[in-house]
Amino acid sequence: MDKFSRRKFVATIGAATVAPASALLKAAPAEAVAPQQMAQRGSATLPAKPLYLFFNLAEAAFIESACERLIPADESGPGALGAGVPNYLDKQLGGAWGSGERLYRSGPWQSGSPSQGYQLPFTPAELFHVALRAVNRNFESQGAAFGTLSAEAQDAYLKTLEAGGVDLDGVPSAVFFDMLLRMSIEGFFSDPVYGGNRDMVAWRMIGFPGAYADYYEAIDRHGEKFAREPMSIGEDALRHVHIDPNIPASL
Amino acid sequence: MVQRLKEVDVVIVGVGMVGSIVAKELAAAGYKVVGLERGEARFTVPEFQSPAVHDELRFDIRKALMQDNTREPVTFRNASSETALPVRRWESFLPGTGLGGSMVHWNGQTYRFQANDFELATRTKERYGKNFLDKDVTIQDWGVTYAELEPHYDRFEYLLGTSGKAGNIKGEIQPGGDPHESPRSREYPTPPQKEHFQGALFRKAATSLGYHPFPQPSSNLSQPYTNPEGVKLNACVFCGFCERYACEHYAKSTPQTVILPVLLANSNFELRTGCQVQRINLDSSKKKATGVTYIDTAGREFEQPASLVITASFALNNVRMLLLSGIDKPYNPQSGTGVVGRNYAYQTMSSVAAFFDQDVIINPFMASGASGTLINDFAGDNFDHSGLGFIGGAFIGAVNTNGRPIQYHPVPPGTPAWGQGWKEAVVKHYNHTVMFSLHGSSVSTRQNYLDLDPTYRDAWGQPLLRMTFDFPQNDLKMAAYVTAKGVEIGKAMGAKLVAGAPRKAPYTTTVYQTTHNTGGTVMGNDPRTSVVNRYLQSWDVPNVFVIGASAYPQNASWNPTDTLGALTYWAIDALKNRYLKNPGRLVSA
Amino acid sequence: MVFLLALGASVIVAAASPKAGPESAKRPGPAAAVICQSCHGANGEGAPAAKIPRLAGQSADYLDKQLRDYASGARSNEVMQNFAKPLSEADRAEVAAYFASLTAPSIAPNPRATDSQLARGRQLAQQGSEAERVQACDNCHGPDGSGVPRSAPYLAGQSADYLAAELQSWREGKRKNDAGKLMSSVVQRLNDADVSAVSAYFSSLAAP
Repeated sequence: MDKFSRRKFVATIGAATVAPASALLKAAPAEAVAPQQMAQRGSATLPAKPLYLFFNLAEAAFIESACERLIPADESGPGALGAGVPNYLDKQLGGAWGSGERLYRSGPWQSGSPSQGYQLPFTPAELFHVALRAVNRNFESQGAAFGTLSAEAQDAYLKTLEAGGVDLDGVPSAVFFDMLLRMSIEGFFSDPVYGGNRDMVAWRMIGFPGAYADYYEAIDRHGEKFAREPMSIGEDALRHVHIDPNIPASL
Repeated sequence: MVQRLKEVDVVIVGVGMVGSIVAKELAAAGYKVVGLERGEARFTVPEFQSPAVHDELRFDIRKALMQDNTREPVTFRNASSETALPVRRWESFLPGTGLGGSMVHWNGQTYRFQANDFELATRTKERYGKNFLDKDVTIQDWGVTYAELEPHYDRFEYLLGTSGKAGNIKGEIQPGGDPHESPRSREYPTPPQKEHFQGALFRKAATSLGYHPFPQPSSNLSQPYTNPEGVKLNACVFCGFCERYACEHYAKSTPQTVILPVLLANSNFELRTGCQVQRINLDSSKKKATGVTYIDTAGREFEQPASLVITASFALNNVRMLLLSGIDKPYNPQSGTGVVGRNYAYQTMSSVAAFFDQDVIINPFMASGASGTLINDFAGDNFDHSGLGFIGGAFIGAVNTNGRPIQYHPVPPGTPAWGQGWKEAVVKHYNHTVMFSLHGSSVSTRQNYLDLDPTYRDAWGQPLLRMTFDFPQNDLKMAAYVTAKGVEIGKAMGAKLVAGAPRKAPYTTTVYQTTHNTGGTVMGNDPRTSVVNRYLQSWDVPNVFVIGASAYPQNASWNPTDTLGALTYWAIDALKNRYLKNPGRLVSA
Repeated sequence: MVFLLALGASVIVAAASPKAGPESAKRPGPAAAVICQSCHGANGEGAPAAKIPRLAGQSADYLDKQLRDYASGARSNEVMQNFAKPLSEADRAEVAAYFASLTAPSIAPNPRATDSQLARGRQLAQQGSEAERVQACDNCHGPDGSGVPRSAPYLAGQSADYLAAELQSWREGKRKNDAGKLMSSVVQRLNDADVSAVSAYFSSLAAP
């Protein structure tokens, strides 16, 4: 996709490696990137496309572009795409949480006050499918696609969703937007075993050391930077991060 | 088909800290005790080991250690004029489940209440006059005094090994401790935890303003400790995965690390997990409990007869248990009659964010759940409220417990919620911000209460607990006042920008505040305004004891756990030395 | 073997050591490290049978602290104290950094370790033991004991005899230089079989 070639990817810092990518095989031909194009994009490695199990192509296209607007790549490091946030969303929505784990799902259904929180019958998976279908249908009906808009236009569209008042086939757009934003932040900052925060780029960006956390001595060094590579729950002795086997992602 | 089991002396509903301590004491005294825990058994090895336990998504966001909303949420509304709707996902408060209860995943903050708190109605009237309070405020005296509870506070703290610095030993103020605290008989069992950088910055600023900073009392221990039960704990390493997580190091005081090894070794005690108690059964007089009925994980129903029934589950669940069992009269806010569900209160939380320059490196991820430095100068009745129009207050402290990034990424007000500007602000401020907590009291009111929901049910078909609550004006004024004080301290710390966020109405269930839900089975001397007497014995059904923070007539400026521990030992004293030797009413109605 | 050379004596270039392999020829070490290499090996591989620990690739922070503790007596060992005391702060940091930078092949697994020992060691390393109230070693020592920089040294590929001797030292209270008694409070709950098991297990892993 053209969009990728115009993006500036910052090389990921640090030595952590992941299993070799095979995902290019599964992506739609239109979105595959030929090796020579990748080499021309400078020092950054184009992140391989994830294997989407939940999102269809049109949904994935919107999610990828939208998440990258929510958390863009910049000098401080990769954004949502570079961190694998769309992959995270795909695996969460396609898994137990997406189908309503820990969500009280009995009716009767009534809309309540903001203090009463989420009162819709949709599971997260249902909510995303319904909302994304409505979003993409709106764009199609205008002969457009979210992914081809300019960054400013994409932001403007996201802000209309955020403000609410757009009905996405029964999903209030503000609810959809809120969930999209929350999950993007989760996918950015959660442990890489869940398929996001690839190579712990987000942790490195802010200086969060991760899952191994013994600070008994360091806590005495007031005001001193704690210089240590972040460590994941899923890393082995060779510092390779193993993605949760229940998440069939390939990177 | 209900299977009737062999009768035992005592059946305890809920094997958290309260249930574990009561069971241990009564089993050791020779009674046959059955403990029914609806959740699963879990232990430090293997369930709490890291790195798996240091998983913010799983434990913080998905709430892995909490009650499953699909089976048993509560319903909520701000006022009786609304329809209560289910809390479909926990956010504001997080009821736990499983062996060890919520003290497996608590923060370890271990504060006593002050003498004034136990006689709040009397002392408020004495100091400020009888017209000082808003008309809807229903604060009460507890029926027990701090002095009576002091030895039991001591016993609980020594069980836990709490790390702290005493501020008042037998009336003598001690340097380095909290000068406002009520007298304690001796020092803490272990010295305070190390102070982190943000605590040190706070200390300096608070001192410069004439306040009295002291180290937060912590049940994440500062050094290895062997408690009076012979159980050993290790030192905490400040991993920053405390609240909502279990501790892998045997360093957090939990039932698993302080008492379960002793309890489980006593053959007088039988633990049954996966048992959801449905109700306390009463005889035809309705004044005597015959035992409880429960359903196990396979769906089989059992009746466990017992001479004595103790509900030791989480505060909200204690209240629900009495309502489902038809014990005592449910509270009706319209008529003002009834007692079960009355005087529900919470905690009024505010915050202050102090943003520093890039050269001030905070390392927020290095913390325990209770490390930190705070002041009680604006807590409780430690300051003169004349002319202020409210009672109560908050502790104010640099007591941030973690830097876990999904939830902790402070940004100044006005920062966009997403996009380039958000990302830049997150990077800029993550390691250069100090978040204060202002942990405020909560008065009880006529209109805040608990009862059973008419519409929504749990997975077993029983009505859910319905919560009707909003912040009273009293507490909102208090929050604004203490937050202003907090902002001053932030400025005195030399922060570039200080932003205060006082608690505002309406109360929402969508934002985390605390799991300090109190009241509903209030203790007192008058059965018209309390559910249990001063020994936590039901007025209505004398062989039922209700031990939990549901006993609190209102909530004070501090976390409820230490006080609950003290009340537990206090009640055990009455059970062992009086009730069990001669069952009957311990206080004439 | 006691070396009579004082450390202030004339410099010998490290690469000249007869034990030097190709790895150490890449980067000559500081003068102060030469004497260390005579026991700990040119590549810091240690001498497992003599309970001389492997230093190659060990956390520089940890090495620096141990040298400091040997010098002050906080960690008691007469031989090591003699070597550590004369080091200046700068020397110490240099030596620590040097050994941290080295790589060396892992030692051969100990043929005497039984399967059940290794299984028990693995359990203690990765999970701990509720019966003994001992947490998993890996909590602090990293995945498969590969170390957590600035917190705990690696154990993987370390000499089993050395590990067992140190664990014994913690147990007896002879070694006391653990902040917060973090090591001794855990290790005091291990019995002899556990000490052998966990030492055998870590020793059987590839060094990082």
